[in-house]
Amino acid sequence: MLCDDLHVSATVLVVDDHPSFRSFARRLLDDAGFAVLDEAGDGASALAAVRRLRPDVVLLDVLLPDTTGFELADVLAAEPSRPAVVLVSSRRATDFGASLERASARGFITKSELTAAAVAELVGGGP
Amino acid sequence: VRAIPALVLCAGAGLCALLIDGAHRGGWPPTDKAAIGYSAGLLSIAIGVVVWLRRPDTRTGMLLTAFPIASLAADLDIVFPASPTAITAAFACESLGAAFLVHAVLSYPTGRFSSRLDRGFVVFAYVYATARGLVLLLFYDPHAPHDPLMFDWYFRARPLTHVAWLDVTRIVDVFDGVLFAAALGLVLLLVRKVLRASPGEQRIVLPLVAATCFAALQVAVQLAVYREPVNSWASGNWFWVVTFASVATPLALALGILWGRRARSAVADLVVELERTPPGAVREALARTLRDPSLEIALCLERGGYADGEGRPVTLPASGSGRAVTVLGPADAPVAALVHDPVLLERPALLAAAGAAARLALENERLQAELRAQVAELRASRTRIVEAGDDERRRLERDLHDGAQQRLLAIGLALQLARGQLEADAETTRELLDEADAELRAALDELRELAHGIHPAVLTEQGLGPALATLAERSPVPVTIDGVPDERLPAPAEAAAYFLVSEALANVAKYAHASRIRVSVVRENGRARVEIHDDGVGGADPSRGSGLRGLLDRVQSLDGRLRIDSPPGRGTHLEAEIPCA
Repeated sequence: MLCDDLHVSATVLVVDDHPSFRSFARRLLDDAGFAVLDEAGDGASALAAVRRLRPDVVLLDVLLPDTTGFELADVLAAEPSRPAVVLVSSRRATDFGASLERASARGFITKSELTAAAVAELVGGGP
Repeated sequence: VRAIPALVLCAGAGLCALLIDGAHRGGWPPTDKAAIGYSAGLLSIAIGVVVWLRRPDTRTGMLLTAFPIASLAADLDIVFPASPTAITAAFACESLGAAFLVHAVLSYPTGRFSSRLDRGFVVFAYVYATARGLVLLLFYDPHAPHDPLMFDWYFRARPLTHVAWLDVTRIVDVFDGVLFAAALGLVLLLVRKVLRASPGEQRIVLPLVAATCFAALQVAVQLAVYREPVNSWASGNWFWVVTFASVATPLALALGILWGRRARSAVADLVVELERTPPGAVREALARTLRDPSLEIALCLERGGYADGEGRPVTLPASGSGRAVTVLGPADAPVAALVHDPVLLERPALLAAAGAAARLALENERLQAELRAQVAELRASRTRIVEAGDDERRRLERDLHDGAQQRLLAIGLALQLARGQLEADAETTRELLDEADAELRAALDELRELAHGIHPAVLTEQGLGPALATLAERSPVPVTIDGVPDERLPAPAEAAAYFLVSEALANVAKYAHASRIRVSVVRENGRARVEIHDDGVGGADPSRGSGLRGLLDRVQSLDGRLRIDSPPGRGTHLEAEIPCA
């Protein structure tokens, strides 16, 4: 739809510990023309998936059972594939303050405002 | 019982009079010396009888009475040298007095021996006295040929118990050699006794030991110089030495008794002193009066246990730890415990008098300590309540974040997707709306659960009975509710009872491995008594884990009490009393 022509082939990994959010986010992005390669429920499996699938974009929840999205974003920034990280949380950006500003991420979207267009806008400069 | 010492005193006086009169009539010993020496013996008897009456629980008084009586009786042969009865009695008592004295001193002040060595020495003393007496009783015969240099040629009668003649003087020489060694041995034992005594004991024992050492040493000197006991009646200087030695020990004891009287008057001083003693200084005043610098005071707290003046908990020393404990005040409401030198147990009257004098001041200190302990406890529980509140808020935030909030987000995403599908595909749209509906119901359920955890509506609306019933229904371990008051209780009491049961049921399910739980709530005397009993593994400890601690705080904040009885292997019994007047 909206972003079909912009990012026809952008590949995505969805990382969140809540299965219902993962599945809806996957369908939202798929419908908008992104190619969601896989989902991960925690930091360790997310890193493994990034190394295996080399996605263009990682939709990354801030609060994970084994780590935080900020820390994982730093790790991912050092990966050779350097995926574009979009942090998401049910909390607002102001709740995180400085850690969000320092994060190795393209941007942050509050979950209640998550749309494919918002993701596309953040990763617009990407592949 | 008190008549016996009095009768013994009369008999002693009679014996003394008999000896003085006999000496006067017979001409030996010289009348003036006899009067002095035997009166000194009577004085010793009187002292012994006083001790006997004051401390009937130890043998010391009896032994100190027996010592001069036996010593006087041992002189019957000198005063009545022609009387077989007198000679028999005198021989029987020859060394018995010394054995009684040794027994009294080595077992002083408790009446018990503090070592096997002491006990062994006393046994030896009695065996020695018996053996020496028997030799004379059985074999002495003034009519048989003997060494004319020995002074015992003087006796002209045979003991009634005479059986055969033996050369007694040679045997007595051997006995005298043993006596010399024993006298020195006794001195060593007495020195050891002083060195091993506690400081308080030393003060009591020292005069007695010094006097007995003097008596033992003068015997040793006699034997060393003359190779036999001196005939003190015939020697000016030795008469005074021997007489003094015989009364020195009883006199030392009398001094001890006088010291006790002085301590009594010290109690009177204490009463006056306590009037102006600031709180907290009672210990120093009592320590001075009882002459025990090591004295400690443990104040009894109303809720059980002991505390020092600052309200810090104190553990009383166990028996056998070298410290003694005396509890002041009535048995059902003790005021304080004195932890002191065990020697003070020998002066129960002094302890009781000083304790009684200090009781009011200690009661005052106790109340202050109680107050400080309560303030400290209150401060700690206030901190815990604040922390528990913060923990609870964090938990709520997390529950909301992970639960209902996530579901509502999912609903939002589903609706977003459905809007996108609206024109394209009716089937997919319906599926998305169904999913959103299911998420919505789940979110509502979770919110309801959460709200219930914060404060159960059933408790507010319907009271404790129905609220406990819902808890029982949810419990994985079967619960029997034995009874709940029908009428409503004050809201704080209902909440405390409800959360108590709720936490207890959760704990049982988590840790107790129980097969059933009984719960009862009874209202009596303006209090609700909540009891929860399970048949699990027991061993619950309120100092571990915040759950029980939090319950304790909640119950205490209502001035209630919580008791946990959880012996390992025998289930847990939790009993709370919550005021609800």
